[in-house]
Amino acid sequence: MPRWGMVIDLDRCTGCQACVVACQAENNIPINTEEVFHQRRAIEWIRIERYWEGEWPNVKARYIPVPCMHCDNAPCEPVCPVYATYHSDQGLNVQVYNRCIGTRYCSANCHWHVRFFNFWEPKWPESLQEQLNPNVSVRSRGVMEKCTFCVQRINHAQQAATVEGREVEDGEFTTACAAACPTRAIVFGDLLNEGSEVAQMASTSNRAYRLLEDLGTDPAVFYLKKIDPDAPESQDAGH
Amino acid sequence: MRRRDFLKLVAASGAGSVVFTGCQVTEWAGTWGDGNPSREFKIQSPVMNPEDMQYGRDAYFATVYPQSSGGSGLIIRVFEGRAKKVEGNPDFPLNMGRTSPIDQALVHEVYHPDRLAGPMRLRDGAERGSGDYDAISWDEALSELSTALSEAGGAENSIVLLTGPVSGTNAVLAREFGSAAGARHVQIDLDEKLVLREAMRRVFGSEHLPSIDLANTRFLLNFSAEFLHHWISPTQFNIAYGEFRQGGENPRGTYWHVGPQLSATASNADRWFPINPGTEGMVALAMARVMSDEGLVDSGAVGSIYGDALGSIDVAQVATMSGLSADQIAELARRFAEAGPSVAIAGTHAAAHTNGLFNLSAVFSLNFLVGSVGVPGGLILNPDSPLPDDIPNPTSGISYRDLTTLATDINNGVTQLVLIHGTNPVYSYPDASGLGEALAIAPRVISFSSFLDETSVYADLILPDLTVLENWGVHVPDPGPGYPIVGLQQPVVQPFVDARAFGDLLMQASAQAGISLPWQSNQELVQTTVNALVGQGGNIEADDPREFMVTMQAQGGWWNDGATAAAAPSAPAQPLTPLEPEFAGDAGEYPFYMLPYPHNSLGHGEFAHLPWLQALPEPISTAVWTTWVELNPATADDLDVEIGDIVEVTSPSGSFELPVYVNPAAAPTVALIPMGQGHEHYTRYAEDRGENPFDIVAPQIESETGALAWAATRVRIEKVDRKVRLPRFEGYVTPRQLEEFPIIQVTRPESE
Repeated sequence: MPRWGMVIDLDRCTGCQACVVACQAENNIPINTEEVFHQRRAIEWIRIERYWEGEWPNVKARYIPVPCMHCDNAPCEPVCPVYATYHSDQGLNVQVYNRCIGTRYCSANCHWHVRFFNFWEPKWPESLQEQLNPNVSVRSRGVMEKCTFCVQRINHAQQAATVEGREVEDGEFTTACAAACPTRAIVFGDLLNEGSEVAQMASTSNRAYRLLEDLGTDPAVFYLKKIDPDAPESQDAGH
Repeated sequence: MRRRDFLKLVAASGAGSVVFTGCQVTEWAGTWGDGNPSREFKIQSPVMNPEDMQYGRDAYFATVYPQSSGGSGLIIRVFEGRAKKVEGNPDFPLNMGRTSPIDQALVHEVYHPDRLAGPMRLRDGAERGSGDYDAISWDEALSELSTALSEAGGAENSIVLLTGPVSGTNAVLAREFGSAAGARHVQIDLDEKLVLREAMRRVFGSEHLPSIDLANTRFLLNFSAEFLHHWISPTQFNIAYGEFRQGGENPRGTYWHVGPQLSATASNADRWFPINPGTEGMVALAMARVMSDEGLVDSGAVGSIYGDALGSIDVAQVATMSGLSADQIAELARRFAEAGPSVAIAGTHAAAHTNGLFNLSAVFSLNFLVGSVGVPGGLILNPDSPLPDDIPNPTSGISYRDLTTLATDINNGVTQLVLIHGTNPVYSYPDASGLGEALAIAPRVISFSSFLDETSVYADLILPDLTVLENWGVHVPDPGPGYPIVGLQQPVVQPFVDARAFGDLLMQASAQAGISLPWQSNQELVQTTVNALVGQGGNIEADDPREFMVTMQAQGGWWNDGATAAAAPSAPAQPLTPLEPEFAGDAGEYPFYMLPYPHNSLGHGEFAHLPWLQALPEPISTAVWTTWVELNPATADDLDVEIGDIVEVTSPSGSFELPVYVNPAAAPTVALIPMGQGHEHYTRYAEDRGENPFDIVAPQIESETGALAWAATRVRIEKVDRKVRLPRFEGYVTPRQLEEFPIIQVTRPESE
C-alpha cells in the first residue's frame, strides 16, 4: 500500500496562489464571500499563509502553502465520536461526509487549522453549478470538510492501473494544487516508494522539515526550508 | 441503547446499506472503537459521489487563453458538455502544463450568472449608461448593426473599432474591416506595456516583448517589474523562477529587487532596495557609472551604450534622489557586473511615470554592459511571428494622449459609430480622458461585450460575444518563449447562452452592409490563418492542411524551437537622456506618493467579475473583496489610525475614502492602493466594491510615448472618524511567527 504524501519547496513558492484556485475548482469548495472572511469561516483546503519578519526597512514577507498534513497519528481522528474522520490504508486522513454529525471536535484538535466546518448550506448561482466537479461530493450544512489529497484522482488512477494489471506509477497523476503550481514547488506522490520524487526529496534533502513536527503526529507533508542569505547561522530545523 | 450499540446494529442491518451508501468495507481487522488503531476495523469511503451516480465520460480539449498575460496553453476537462476544470497544456512551451489563478477561473466566465444572455437594445426613452435594455432577436440585432455600418461608412474615421490587445485572427479581422469599411482600429492595452514596447524598440530594435532565460541566470536584478504576479507573462516566469532557485544543475540564483514597493513579487527577493518612486532609471545610470569608474566593464562598451548620458551622473546625488546610499548603489553595480550571467529587467511602476521610457531604457541597457542580451542566462529577444506579413504581430495600444484626441473626435462629430470589443476603457482610464462623456453623446455606440461593464453600458446595442472556451481564434503570444509560437483557440463547449462570435457578427453585418471581407465565418478565417503555417516545420509535420489543423487542435498550437530571433544588437539604437520623474500635486499639500499597483488576481480590474479571484487574498495584505490603502506603521501612528480605520485619500484630481491596512513594508512616503475594484457595473461580484484608484489618478503623461503615468500622482491622507472590518485572511493565523516556533524555517545558501 502506498502512503501518499507531499513535498513543498518554500524556496520555489512565490505565493501566486494558483494552487488555491485549482483546489477550489477541483473540489467544489463554496465561494468565499466577503461575509465569510469577516466571520473567519473562509474555506481553503490549501491556503497561502503570509508572515512578516523584521521592521521597516529591513522587513520581509514570507509565504507558506498549508494543506491538510494527513498525519499518520492524526489528532483529529480519535476524537470523532462517529468515525466520520478516519485513517485510510493509504495514509489519507479522510472525512466521511455522510457520517459527520458536526461536533467539530476534529477541528478543535487539529493544530494546523486545516479542517473547515460548513456553517451554512453551500450555495452557487444555478449557472455556476454547471462547473461543479461530478467526482466530488458537495458538502452540506453541518458537515466538516478538508483536503483529501484529491482522493478522486487517486481512485481514478488506481482503477485505471487495476484494469491494466499494473501498479500506479510515480507521476502518473497528481493533486490539483501540484498540477497547477507553476514553480513546481508542490510535488505529490508515494512516500513509501523509494524511487518516487517525493520520497527522494523528503529523505535526501537537508532542507526537509515538517510543520509542528514535535507534536509527533507524523505529517505526510514535508517542507523544504526557504533559503535566505540573511538567515541566522544558528537557525536549525527545530521541531 | 448506547450509541456504540446502535452503530453496531445499523452497520450489521439492512439499514446500514443506506446509512453507509458509497462506503466500501475494505478490511475487517478488529472491533468497534476499542481505541487501538491497529485492531479497529476500517471503513473506506471514496469521499466522492459513487461511481453509479456519474453518467457520461470525460473529454479533454486543448485551447489557448490569449487574455492571460503572455498566453497560456490549456487543457479543458469537459464532462457532459460542460467545462469543469482548467489544466495546463504540458506541450505548450509558455506554460508547460502549469496555470495561473486567472487561467483556473476561466470556467466561471462561461457559466457566470450575470453573463449577457443574448442581444439587447437600449430601451426606448432610456438614457445611455442607465443599463436599461430590452432583449431582441439576432435578426434584429444584425440588421441594426449592418444599418449602422451602412449609415456611418464613407468618411475617414467615421467608424472607430475599439478593441483590447489583439493578435493573429482578431488582428487580421480588425485590419481588413478597417480597410474595407474605412474604419479606424484603436487597440487599448496597458499603458506600462506601451512604454515597454517602445523601450524594446529603442534599446534592442525589437518589436516584441522580452523573455528571460531565468533558469540559467545566476543574478536577477529587477527594477519594480511585477514579473511573478502580473507583468507580461507571469506563468512563464514562475516556471523559470522555480528552476532559477532550485533547478539542480546550477547553483541557486540570486534575486535582488529595486523598487518603491515590497510587492508580492519583491517579497521573493533575497534583498530589497527600497527607492523613491520613479528613480529606477537614475539608479541604473549610477550603477553604470560605478561599473565604468571601477573598471568592472569595458569602458568602450559603456561609451557606445550610454553615450553622454553618464557624464552628468553623480552617484552621491542619485543616492540622495533615490533614497539609497552610494554604497548600496556600488554594491548593486559590483554584484551585477561580477555575478554573471546577470540580467536586469524593469516594468510595472518603473514604466508608469513621466520618465517611464527613460527608466526602462536605462535599466534594459545594463544588459549590454555585461553581455546578457540574447545569450544563455540573459535577456532573450523574441522573433517575428511565423505568420505571413499580412497577419500583424502584436503591437502597441493607443497612448493615453491619443485616446483623449479620440474622445475629442467623437465629441466633435468626426466619429459616427463606435464599435467596442474586449476592452473597458471608461473604467481603466481617469475621467479626464473624456471618453465616457464622448461615448454618452456619440451618434451610435455598439458593444460586443459578454458582460455589462462601465463602457458597454454606454452602448445602444449590445451583441454579446462568445467566451474564450466557446470560440475559435489564432493568437500570437507575446512574449514568446524565444522562438516562434502560435496558439490555436478552439471551442471546447457549445455556447452556454445565446451569444455569437464577434468575428461572425462583424462578417455577417458587413456583408449585409455591402462591405466586402474575405471570409464568410470566423472559423474560415482561422482555417485560412492556420493554412499559412503548413510546411513551416516545427512541431507539426503534416503537409495536408486538414491533417495539420487536426494536429494543431490536439497540440494546442504550433511552435518551432529551432528558430530564434535575429542576432541581438550590441548597443541601444537611440541615445539615452537622463530624466527625473515629475508628480502631480505639490509636495507640501500632498505629502505622499500614491502608488496604485496591479492586483495579483484582479489585474487592472478586468477579472473583478470572477468570484474565485475576488476571494483570493492579495498576497501581501491578505485582503479580499475590497480596496484599501497601505501605510507604513509610523505613518499610521502619526495619523492615529490602525487597520480598518477609514481615511480620506485626496489627490489634485479627486478623493475617496478607504480603509487602512498597516503594512510593515510600506515606505513612510507612499500610499499603496491595489487596482481592480470600484466598478459601477461588471456583475454582482464586482459592483459597488471598493474604489478605483484611476478615479483620482492625475492625467500625467509619460513624456515621450504619451502613455498614462499612473504612478505619478501625490496625495494627502486624512483620518475620518469611522472604522470598518477589513475582510482579509490575516488573523486566521498571526501576522508574525513566534520565534520559538517558526512555521517557515529558513536556512542559508550553501555557498554563503
